[in-house]
Amino acid sequence: MTAFWPLLVAGLALFVLGVTAQLVVRDVIRRIVALNVGSAGVMLVLLAIAGRGTESGLAPDPVPQALVLTGIVVMAAITGLGLALARRIESTSSEDEAGPGGVS
Amino acid sequence: MSALAVLDALLLAATVATGAVAVFAPRRTAATATFLVFGVLLALLWARLGAADVALAEAALGGGVAGALLVDALGRRRPPRPAPGTATARGARAIAGAAAGAVALVALAIIARAVSPLPSPLATEALGTIPETGVSHPITAVLLNYRSLDTLLEIAVLVTAAWGAAAVARPARSAAPAEASVDPLRRALAGVLLPVLVVLAAWLLVAGSSQPGGAFQSGALLAAALVIADLCGYRRLVPRGRTTAWLVAAGLIAFVALAAVGLALEGAWLAMDPAWAGSAILAVEAVLAVTIGVALFAIFDAAGRADARTPEPSGAAS
Repeated sequence: MTAFWPLLVAGLALFVLGVTAQLVVRDVIRRIVALNVGSAGVMLVLLAIAGRGTESGLAPDPVPQALVLTGIVVMAAITGLGLALARRIESTSSEDEAGPGGVS
Repeated sequence: MSALAVLDALLLAATVATGAVAVFAPRRTAATATFLVFGVLLALLWARLGAADVALAEAALGGGVAGALLVDALGRRRPPRPAPGTATARGARAIAGAAAGAVALVALAIIARAVSPLPSPLATEALGTIPETGVSHPITAVLLNYRSLDTLLEIAVLVTAAWGAAAVARPARSAAPAEASVDPLRRALAGVLLPVLVVLAAWLLVAGSSQPGGAFQSGALLAAALVIADLCGYRRLVPRGRTTAWLVAAGLIAFVALAAVGLALEGAWLAMDPAWAGSAILAVEAVLAVTIGVALFAIFDAAGRADARTPEPSGAAS
């Protein structure tokens, strides 16, 4: 990968997509997907910074890469916890009432 | 512009486009399916950025484990309809989008000012002292030596998430499907996959000290193996109940023990002498891999039980 700026812009675009969807989407599972997409944007920015100068022979910076690795594991754990909560919420609200609504 | 550069540009554009579709697709199924594609594209992109470790973890966790979790959550249920009269107003969306765009521009400006000159001083320092860390792979050195406190806390997050998910899960249905009732083809496939995954996980763990790999990728593969074992009728291989709790806690306990040994022998929490650092890191990583695998599987299992109707299978599903 050569160019640094396109990567940075793409990372920010993904982050903005994720955050915007957090604000406007109601469906909890789609929100969890949006959270994942937003975090991918952050990871892209970090890895773009880590990978600068690799084509001129520098080794990639291991510190941001390790941060991203940590982030991926935490994201997977949080996705799982979020989905457990979402599924519990939905099953509870559909038990409580027959009509639509309840969850906002 | 070389052919590879064109492919890179296409990959980047495809990643952003897939991300946008995953976020704004109106249906859950579409959003989830696109997100799985997004995970694969991300793994490719990370590999192209020279981050092989991250690519491995993304493929195993972002694409694999998160994919399994999301697809499992889609099963059989229709999402509740939003309350009447509360559909998000178009104006609110526009405002949210504009605000997010403004935040992004500010963030871009901040990053542009903050990026360190090349070569980054921290990277130089980190790469310069690798021989003292006990491992030769820089990322493993950062994760388990320089910044081992981060990793310790990350394991704490994972353990907390596993406990949290278990807390919202309903009690396990007593009668798990009998092993014989599982499709024989699936069972045979699992019989091939499971040994391969376990060997691969062990190899990644050991390889982590000198090349891309390590406890996280290994643990993710272990989690995948446990999910496959659970779904394909090898339930005896899957830890349950109290065993799970202990295996999940083991990584945290081992890591804290390592920290205490550092305090006792070297005078600082998590300090390691280069003489025994390599063996200590590998030992802790082995425990961590098991903990990560079992914790992720426990989360998957708990999420699956979070909405399970307890006794009557009265056709509430479908």
